[in-house]
Amino acid sequence: MKRNWMRRIIGGLSFTSALFVFQACYGTPQDFGLDMLIEGQVKSKTSELPIKGIKVSVADNMQYDLTNENGRFSFYTEMLENMKIRFEDVDSVQNGLFINKDTVLTVLNEKVFLDITLEEK
Amino acid sequence: MLSAIKKRAFRKFKESETKLHLLNYLFWECTTRCNLNCLHCGSDCLKESSFPDMPIKDFLLALDTIEKFSENLTVVLTGGEPLMRKDIEICGREIRKRGMRWSLVSNGHLYNKERHISLLNSGLGALTISMDGLEESHNWLRNSDNNFKKVENAISLAASSSRLNFDVVTCVNKRNINELPQIRDFLIQKGVSAWRLFTIVPIGRAKNNPDLFLSDTQFVELLNFISDFRNDKVIDVKFSCEGFVGKYEFKVRDSYFFCRAGINIGSILIDGSISACPNIDRTFSQGNIYRDDFYNIWQTKFESFRDRSWTKTGKCADCNEYKDCQGNGFHNWHGDKKNVLVCHNEQIEKVMKF
Repeated sequence: MKRNWMRRIIGGLSFTSALFVFQACYGTPQDFGLDMLIEGQVKSKTSELPIKGIKVSVADNMQYDLTNENGRFSFYTEMLENMKIRFEDVDSVQNGLFINKDTVLTVLNEKVFLDITLEEK
Repeated sequence: MLSAIKKRAFRKFKESETKLHLLNYLFWECTTRCNLNCLHCGSDCLKESSFPDMPIKDFLLALDTIEKFSENLTVVLTGGEPLMRKDIEICGREIRKRGMRWSLVSNGHLYNKERHISLLNSGLGALTISMDGLEESHNWLRNSDNNFKKVENAISLAASSSRLNFDVVTCVNKRNINELPQIRDFLIQKGVSAWRLFTIVPIGRAKNNPDLFLSDTQFVELLNFISDFRNDKVIDVKFSCEGFVGKYEFKVRDSYFFCRAGINIGSILIDGSISACPNIDRTFSQGNIYRDDFYNIWQTKFESFRDRSWTKTGKCADCNEYKDCQGNGFHNWHGDKKNVLVCHNEQIEKVMKF
């Protein structure tokens, strides 16, 4: 702890803004971004069985994941307030027909698990 | 006066960082296969490599030896071309599960929308894509008829993500030095916010191709170009950390020159060797994950990286700038290590004399 303070003081004396941020010559910038892991499971409200092939996406973002045979999805995304997560049936009748749903994330944690049920059309 | 204080303080800072040697940047050379055959490749990569890709589990076993990792430790996946591997996303998730960050260096050839999404989904946080000129000069250096179009698409995708800490790198050479203003315009138009410029080191395939190396005057032109645009708020243009640039220190990047190879930067290379940046002469390897405990090697070895006094030889022996330069970038020591391969400051001084 003491060492950490010392290096910050010495660093500060050299008036350099980017002392602890660097990138190797042939490397990438470092990652200081805030993101979160959104995971969950989508089930049918009627049968309570998992639904495969539901597109789970963040509104206004090109990222999405499709639920697997266990209805599970998982992706990292930028941590934003009031993020709207969209659940869409995109495979027509292939895995049943369900009504799309939006949900807004009000609690922001590094990791969130969502249990979602979709109503059948 | 102020400059002298800053210099002294920065020397002290370097000493203290060297003593601490926190690992917060780890390269993984996950493949040496590559889908391009670039004229300047320092690794001499080919489509088919003599080394098989390192299995993820082998890399993770080494990663798991790190007892206490520093905040924001970034694992940088490099190659070859890392996207030649189909399991990058699996590996990325495993890295994130351990509480570390990960990033990727790519030539952009395979970086399409689907891959962009799957990489982001797996927790990719930073990305560097190479663009080495406008279409003709880029494709010449990349030895490809169509790489530029793919890179253009990759840059558009990456720049559209507010999550990614993304930059474009350009290897400046005789063919593209006059295009720098147009490249800058192109990148601004694509929404790129950070651009890093390099010169090419005479190693690997590059060493026998004189077209790749800037003259001293051109090198100074490059530094002047960067310096002119440093305070520009539109795009962050900077010189890479490849070497000490004397009078241009602080004018062309955010911080004074500090080669952190083996001090904060480590690597696990394709054959399991433990070293620092992958472009460093492989005889400097400090151990091998297949027989050594990675973190123990990081903590207890790396003497030649942390005490650079052995570089005070050849043209560095009597150099007045040695205290601040300390033998230039570590990747400039190859072969018999009797002399530094490139002295950026010497190039500048030669031009300044006239």
